[in-house]
Amino acid sequence: MSGATQHLAAAPFARRSQLRRSWAQMRRNHIGFVVCALGPILALFVLIRIYPILETIRLSFYNYNITQRRNPFVGLSNYIRLFDDDPFRTALLNTIGFSVLSVIVTLALALTIAILLRSIEHTAATFELLFYIPVVIPWVPAAVIWKWIYDPAYGALNYVLSGFGVARLGWLQEPTLILYAIVLVSVWKLVGYFIVIYGVGLRSIPEELLEAASLDGATAWQKVVHIVLPLMRPIILFTVVTCTIICFNVFAPVYVLTASSQGAPAYDFKVVVGEIYQNGFVFYHMGYAGAQCVVVLLFVMSLLAVQFLAFREK
Amino acid sequence: MFEERSIRIAAWAACSTLALFTVLPFVWIVATAFKTANEINMWPPTFLPHAPTMENFHQLLHETPFLRYIFNSLLIAVGSTASIMLTSSLGGFVFAKYRFPLRGPLFMMILASAIIPLEAYMVPLYIMVFKVHMLNTYAALIFPLMIMTFGVFFMRQVIMSIPDDLLEAARIDGASELWIYLRIVVYLSNSGLMAIGVFAFTQAWANFIWPLVVVSSGDMYTTELGLAEYQRAFFTEYGPIAAGAVISIVPMLIVFALLRRHIMQGIATSGMKG
Repeated sequence: MSGATQHLAAAPFARRSQLRRSWAQMRRNHIGFVVCALGPILALFVLIRIYPILETIRLSFYNYNITQRRNPFVGLSNYIRLFDDDPFRTALLNTIGFSVLSVIVTLALALTIAILLRSIEHTAATFELLFYIPVVIPWVPAAVIWKWIYDPAYGALNYVLSGFGVARLGWLQEPTLILYAIVLVSVWKLVGYFIVIYGVGLRSIPEELLEAASLDGATAWQKVVHIVLPLMRPIILFTVVTCTIICFNVFAPVYVLTASSQGAPAYDFKVVVGEIYQNGFVFYHMGYAGAQCVVVLLFVMSLLAVQFLAFREK
Repeated sequence: MFEERSIRIAAWAACSTLALFTVLPFVWIVATAFKTANEINMWPPTFLPHAPTMENFHQLLHETPFLRYIFNSLLIAVGSTASIMLTSSLGGFVFAKYRFPLRGPLFMMILASAIIPLEAYMVPLYIMVFKVHMLNTYAALIFPLMIMTFGVFFMRQVIMSIPDDLLEAARIDGASELWIYLRIVVYLSNSGLMAIGVFAFTQAWANFIWPLVVVSSGDMYTTELGLAEYQRAFFTEYGPIAAGAVISIVPMLIVFALLRRHIMQGIATSGMKG
């Protein structure tokens, strides 16, 4: 390093030509265009992504209330409070239970159907289209549809079940049933998306591989277990991460399907994002809501880490 | 993949059942939207409306400024889509075709934040909007939806497949970088760009929690927020609620029907690369 500077000082000509060279190189790389094009995008990106993410973490150490002038630093007390907060604990357990159930049912169903679709290839596109309709429907009307189906008095679900001799059930009123009711909505909404994703992965498996296995006398089940599933592993991992993050952030369907301040008769099923909403935007305890957001951030980050490590290992 | 007859029959049965499960609830809400209040509260329920009526739509539009909600949603969705299409394709182009310092780290930073959901960082966004006195404005509603990190990543993948020689040839003919972007890159990546556009539009239209947080005055409600609040206030009037649900679904179905090919292709080329 020092040798290089000495050399440059001793030879001004060389230095000038090197500058010119690097300037020429920058021009060749169109640095002006890059700065003009990327600058505003990166600025926007920092403003609406990076800064809010970091600020969420900072807020979680403050007793921040937007209506107050003084917002003192409180260290870890927001996090300590999380441990004693019964609604938050309930919300966390509900959200985890919902996510586990929803991810397993959605992905198992999607994978099974995607594999079955490959044996009726000529109608697969039509079926995929029909499965995709709920994916296109936003969460709010989706939940509205199901709220009507779950209606205890006039709902279609109780009517269908009455045909099997089941008495009317309050799907959204019973604390034990509402979890399954919301899982069913999310499976309905998400399954089509993952069928399409799995379909793409399955189509990329070389047909010769399966034919060779058939010639060796492998049954369909053996082909699935020994050829299809191992090859699909990275895609399955990706979908588990994506689906878990979607489910962990469940809020709109819960907001629609559960009790409201106006007293719509339903059980108050708590979820994590619902607690963030309550604390941050109803009670304006934003520091505390920030600590709850950090829980979500940590959860998402750990999922990403798992995915990253699993890919590296291959 | 599997030629056995029994598997084909099982596949048909399973897929038909699932198709009924995915389609029937949608058909059911559309049918409900056109039923009279009496017919809706009938036991046993009827499937198709006996005397189709527009009464529910009239009532909804009478009791709420629902047309205003639709207009708000459209405006936000169009604004967000335009911004995302521009930033995604320009950003994707730069990351795909130029060499510059910190390119790798910057791209990794964008990619890493792509998966973090809005819910996790909306508190500081709200505080920012609050501090500049922009609550209840279109700007505030569009603001967090102006870029899509996944879009930058996706367009980079698409644009990387455009041969460098083509761009170089244009440069030799004296084309500027901006011209190359507008005339060559946008043109050749247009299918991918459409996929991102559809994605952005549906995402903005369906967004619920941000409008819920940032809007308090009724005339700035979006369709989703208006529907959610309406069904909370009038939870027994299922006719107009169903009508609102149908109104909020229809634009999505239209977009999907028109641009299906782009959407499916978008998922196919990117879905598993996240």
